[in-house]
Amino acid sequence: MKQEDALNLLQPYVDGELDAATSLEMERYLAGDAIARAQLARLRALSSALRAEADYYVAPGSLRAGILSGTRGAAAPPQGSTRVRSPHWLRSIGIGVAAAAVGSIATMTLLGPTQQDLTEHDIFAAHARATVSDRLLDVASSDQHTVKPWLSARLGFSPPVPDLSGSGFELVGGRIDVVGGQRVAVIVYRRRQHMIDVLVRPARGETPSVRSRDGLNLNHFTQSGMSFWLISDLNSNELGDLARLLVASAGP
Amino acid sequence: MSENDRRFQDAVLPHLDAAYNLARWLTGNDHDARDVVQDACLRAYRSIGQLRGASARPWLLAIVRNACFSWLRANRPTEVVGSLDDTEGAGSTAREDTSPGPETLALENLDRKVLNDAIAALPAPYREVLILRELEELSYNDIANVTGAPIGTVMSRLSRGRRLLAQSFQVVLAHVESGGRR
Repeated sequence: MKQEDALNLLQPYVDGELDAATSLEMERYLAGDAIARAQLARLRALSSALRAEADYYVAPGSLRAGILSGTRGAAAPPQGSTRVRSPHWLRSIGIGVAAAAVGSIATMTLLGPTQQDLTEHDIFAAHARATVSDRLLDVASSDQHTVKPWLSARLGFSPPVPDLSGSGFELVGGRIDVVGGQRVAVIVYRRRQHMIDVLVRPARGETPSVRSRDGLNLNHFTQSGMSFWLISDLNSNELGDLARLLVASAGP
Repeated sequence: MSENDRRFQDAVLPHLDAAYNLARWLTGNDHDARDVVQDACLRAYRSIGQLRGASARPWLLAIVRNACFSWLRANRPTEVVGSLDDTEGAGSTAREDTSPGPETLALENLDRKVLNDAIAALPAPYREVLILRELEELSYNDIANVTGAPIGTVMSRLSRGRRLLAQSFQVVLAHVESGGRR
């Protein structure tokens, strides 16, 4: 690789836009070029500074409320617009967000714990235990053909363990946790510096949900007879992306 | 709630912060950002049928972005035209900045206000790709779809925007080092 080419590729390299082969070539090249490494450091420093210090303006509450109410009664979309094909659980997530936006969280907490709420409480507790104990992985491998059989052999079911590295979620490994008195598979993925626990066990007719607590986001859904709980400090948008990928790979 | 209301809320509400953030950065103030987002949401509601299981965030941001640029053309026309030199391309980054310098370390001490003022001072076409890349973490492909520009243009605007920011910081840092008032 020539220096001029490498310097031109630095930006897509920093932005994660190079394919694996070219990335590897870049890494090898950078080992031998201090000038390129310095330029890389500057690009990374700028990117970090922007992400850390640039203002992120969240929508004011009155704007959000106005949009909730304002589009009702607006002109309807033209006749013949086709149905949006989206999985059932996506609709529930939307309603959950809308309900939170109009401040009905108080209503939800007053209703008292349901069977599902107890499971979510257990999940947060199990995640906290694993984090504190440093026992995040029983099997550490990025190979789905290692993790899946390891988990299946120790549980009464076979959880899906898809390879999502092409979509920016790297498989880290797995472990077995106990939630609500029963053993569940935990498949661990990583995106950037965020670890994501994917708890899987056979479904029991729970309804999908999205929650946030203490800086952790939870995304729960059911697909192909399995229940999935995703828990991470990764932002809920990207957690939703992982959920969609898992739905797609789990099949009908 | 009607089916369309539900579809609209599912698609828009989770990404309303991203929508407002982009509008706020492009219009420069809260009042106009709200107007633009309201306008964009109305358009989104009317075209919700076109979002067929595709990712809602880039879809909505494209609508917001276009509403912002309509607003800019009407209210701040000089921000949109001129100062664009996409023919420079990403290659020009290679020829400059070849000497390692102290700027890497100095960025950590950079005043937050200085950094935000520098972003606000960028021409809109450079500012928008930086916001979409660094704050929304969109891929080049998604940024191309949101801005309606080819990927090559996205890359060259990112490159030039980053270089302009780095240069403005160097000016600030030089000013500080020479004992000037911050």
